Amino acid sequence: MVCIWCGGERAVSDTVTLILNALTLISILMLVGLGLAIIFGLMGVINMAHGEFVTFGAFTLSLLQTAGGNYWMALVLAPIVGATAGFVLERSIIQHLYTRPLATILATWGVSLIIQQSLQLILGAGPRQGTGPISGAVNFLGADYPAYRLMLIAFAAVIVAVVIAMFRYTRFGLDLRAVIQDRDMAEALGIDTRRVCTIAFASGAALASIAGVLIAPMTKVIALMGASYLAPSFFVVIVGGAGSIAGVAAGSAVVGGLETVLNYEVPATVSQAIVLITAVVLVRFRPRGLVPS
Amino acid sequence: MTSVDQSLPRRTAWPKGWLVLSAGLLVLVLLYPTWTDPYSLTVLRDAMIFALFAVSLDYMWGKSGVLSFGHAAFFGIGAYAMPIIGPMVPTANAALVALLAGVAVAGIVAFVVGYFLIFGGVRGPYFTIVTLALCLVAQHIAIGWSEMTGGDAGLIGAPPFGIEMFGLSYLILDSVEQYYLVTAILTATLCVLWLACGGHYGRVLAAIQDNEVRARTLGYNTSGYLLVVFVISCMLAAVAGALYAVVSGYVAPDSVGLLLSTQVVVWVAVGGRGTLLGPVIGAFLAIRLQQVVSSIDFRLWPLVVGAFFVAMVFLFPDGVLPLVRRWMARAWGRLVPSSGAR
Repeated sequence: MVCIWCGGERAVSDTVTLILNALTLISILMLVGLGLAIIFGLMGVINMAHGEFVTFGAFTLSLLQTAGGNYWMALVLAPIVGATAGFVLERSIIQHLYTRPLATILATWGVSLIIQQSLQLILGAGPRQGTGPISGAVNFLGADYPAYRLMLIAFAAVIVAVVIAMFRYTRFGLDLRAVIQDRDMAEALGIDTRRVCTIAFASGAALASIAGVLIAPMTKVIALMGASYLAPSFFVVIVGGAGSIAGVAAGSAVVGGLETVLNYEVPATVSQAIVLITAVVLVRFRPRGLVPS
Repeated sequence: MTSVDQSLPRRTAWPKGWLVLSAGLLVLVLLYPTWTDPYSLTVLRDAMIFALFAVSLDYMWGKSGVLSFGHAAFFGIGAYAMPIIGPMVPTANAALVALLAGVAVAGIVAFVVGYFLIFGGVRGPYFTIVTLALCLVAQHIAIGWSEMTGGDAGLIGAPPFGIEMFGLSYLILDSVEQYYLVTAILTATLCVLWLACGGHYGRVLAAIQDNEVRARTLGYNTSGYLLVVFVISCMLAAVAGALYAVVSGYVAPDSVGLLLSTQVVVWVAVGGRGTLLGPVIGAFLAIRLQQVVSSIDFRLWPLVVGAFFVAMVFLFPDGVLPLVRRWMARAWGRLVPSSGAR
């Protein structure tokens, strides 16, 4: 363990590395959490199968590269795969359960188990790989940092900016915000809320799939990987508050930042426990999240 | 939250048939060792431990409507306490001390987590998610903190149950004695919970489940009630975990895992939540089915569980056994509660 706060020449570059590590995690959490938070804010639905969209993205990259494709093709294909899966899930199951939140948890959890186990049965349990388009390290503010991670942060920032712009300036974004604020009123004004929900759900799934492609080169691609992104992104939603992009940003910053800093000082297990405890304590004082919608 | 209207627990909802069924089951269970082979006995013994676990969740989910997806975390605390704390005590009381310690730790963790969540107004799906996260963290600790928990390999060395007092000591080593011990604990738990939830207390919980705001307006400290339910339920889960550690002699990260948390929800859901005896039967049936399915291919079981959840919310939101019972009742034109048993 390196003491990051100790003086010396390395301190600056270590701090830069720490911040970049935190930003990497925050970017991923934001992409996964955005879909989850908007879906929850919109429909009051908790989608336990959200992690599986991340898995879909990662598998798209890995399978495509095995078949001779490249990274950029996967980055285009993955959101399509994710959105299709999201569309099917929303239309076949979730749409019928809007008024039964607990039933939705059970049903989507069932779907999650089915997807995980089917992937394992069909493609095997062994870890697969994905390769990033760029490798090597670049010098960033005095710190040598993997180029791919810098690309990931920049890419995620662009996507989040696009989502914010869509939220703010498009007709669909307006409809979406109206439905989040007051579903009945939005319906009375002639907004097709079912359509809005379906599109939002599919878009959230697409974002998680993009996150899956981005993560894949940095981790083992396995059928069960979704579960490890599900819990942190729920923390993001719980800490930040559902239904607003600002909430997701705040939640990701707290969860991602805390976990990264802690990982330098204590074992990963302890840092996860501390993040959980922090989330639980924050909930006591801000039950509707840091940035309530 | 699903169909609250028809699942309110009342004492009148326990017709004579249920009592006959319970008594019949108990006699069957008590006489079982007289004709069966040792292996089947251990299978039923383990099933009863899991049934106790299911009852602990049913007390919370069925009676007060709060679903925990992390109940295995508390089962695991109880289980790991046995091989960790047990060997520190040299007398025959070792298991007893470890059991109390494990249950106390589970209670404290549940109290702290529950206080912040329940008094923070966290209900419904949010609560389920946080408990799920709790379970994930517990699993990570069980795997990661290998000096204490043995990591992936798990731990052996849970002491046998026994008691030592005034220079006399008695140890429960025989599997038949273990079987009766488990039976006694399960029966006692069921009786206590049934008596408690049958009266005024049960009505208050039902009121909270039905409409918490209204219950609070009537002067009940609903958060307090829910916290007590959560803590007791988690301590019961720890008791089940401790029993499991002793009889199996072995604890692995499986016993805190997410799959176990999921399975206990299945057991309760099969038996019908809020019925207490239902989850016991549900656990028996589901464990039997798991053995059958896993003997074909152990990877199929999670698929079956997943399909079960999806089917359940659409086809039988109140559970499988209540559905069977209703069918039977319709078929015979009267309520035949024993039909759901075996």
